[in-house]
Amino acid sequence: MNTAKETAAELRKIPWFREITPEHFQTIAAITHLRRVRAGEVLFRQGDKANEIYIVIEGRVALDMLVPHRGKIRFYTAEPWEVFGWSSATPIIHQRTAGATAVIDGLIACINAEKLHQACDDDHDLGYLVMRRLANIVASRLLVTRLQLIDMFANPESQNAK
Amino acid sequence: MITSSTDQSVETNTNHLLEPHWAEITAITPEIEGVSTYWLKFTDPLEQAAYSFQPGQFNMVYVPGFGEAAISICSDSQDRSLIGHSIRFVGNVTHAISRLKVGDVVGLRGPFGTSWPVKQMEGKDVFIACGGIGLPPLRPALYHIIRNREKYGKVTLLYGARTASDLMYTNEYDSWREANIDVQVTVDRGDSSWNGRIGVVPMWFYNFRIDPRKTAVLTCGPEIMIRFVIFEALARRVPPESIYVSLERNMKCGQGSCGHCQLGPYFICKDGPVFRFDALQPFFNVEEF
Repeated sequence: MNTAKETAAELRKIPWFREITPEHFQTIAAITHLRRVRAGEVLFRQGDKANEIYIVIEGRVALDMLVPHRGKIRFYTAEPWEVFGWSSATPIIHQRTAGATAVIDGLIACINAEKLHQACDDDHDLGYLVMRRLANIVASRLLVTRLQLIDMFANPESQNAK
Repeated sequence: MITSSTDQSVETNTNHLLEPHWAEITAITPEIEGVSTYWLKFTDPLEQAAYSFQPGQFNMVYVPGFGEAAISICSDSQDRSLIGHSIRFVGNVTHAISRLKVGDVVGLRGPFGTSWPVKQMEGKDVFIACGGIGLPPLRPALYHIIRNREKYGKVTLLYGARTASDLMYTNEYDSWREANIDVQVTVDRGDSSWNGRIGVVPMWFYNFRIDPRKTAVLTCGPEIMIRFVIFEALARRVPPESIYVSLERNMKCGQGSCGHCQLGPYFICKDGPVFRFDALQPFFNVEEF
């Protein structure tokens, strides 16, 4: 089990945590724990209860969806300092919409989503900073999704054939 | 004064520009589905010895009865023995090429166009961001850098493709890494056997730490990818003068005469295909350009 000191030390490596006040940092560090993961370890599955938000500190985590007749399709990998499982920070999504599997050994910071909601409600300055960060993440993922939807590498001829 | 091209003076053997010269297919290397590399050699040994090109230039490849297609040269510019073209079979001419065999001949005109600024980049870090079949036009630049590795700083290749089976030249990545090129690969989608990155090139570009004051960015691939790579590069304060783009258009004459490949005041075949971004900036986000 990691100590609060270890958790704080790992979180400080993440650029965003260097930009917030010591009080806000302490609030988030207090509701975060570290988890070592091995390659192939499933962090959560589609449909699981969404109760934590994750930040990759080391390693790589693949996000996947189960597509009927096609199996699990990996659509994104989160690398160090990236957030995943962020939809549990939204007020309405309480189930995982995708699965997450570590593809190489790594270290993950796990933030308790319910306590983060509470902390943001209690301190709107913190709430604003967290939501602004989440907005950036969502915007970035939206751009990735758009570019994936465009299927920019598709052979033009095969597209015409469709 | 903004220049359209890379300022890389390209000496061209004008004898090869107006009429095709016959070249024999000496080998065909299947790369990915729908793409093969054709290794060509002029049937006249003197022509082969006289032929030279710069990284980033292209040839017009001619198949009698079908016409010509502009194809980037993907081989090592210092290796005069063969000329390599990685060709995607997508139109009439390239489909005709797909039916050719080793020993058949095609016509070649070229080399045409501007080149990657390999000389101007000496002393700098180089970040190559490319996708799909945008890698072949950059491979000669990589070979040049590897051959002159001590003249460049940190060199990164960020390459993306649709899936793992669409990645080109995978058998060369290890040798590039051995030459101190940081080779990073991403795919748009993967299955559970793929443990590499998944995501799109522009977003991964954003994740890399670069020194904008001393980094040259080279990009080639689908234009939508190029647009967002440039967006991210500018956001990281890389000056437009340090961003180089290779564009693809429907080219016919290769000499700026026919106008098929016009982009604003430029002809891609003559003023490009490699442009310094400050020249393209006024036209780049204009619809229908």
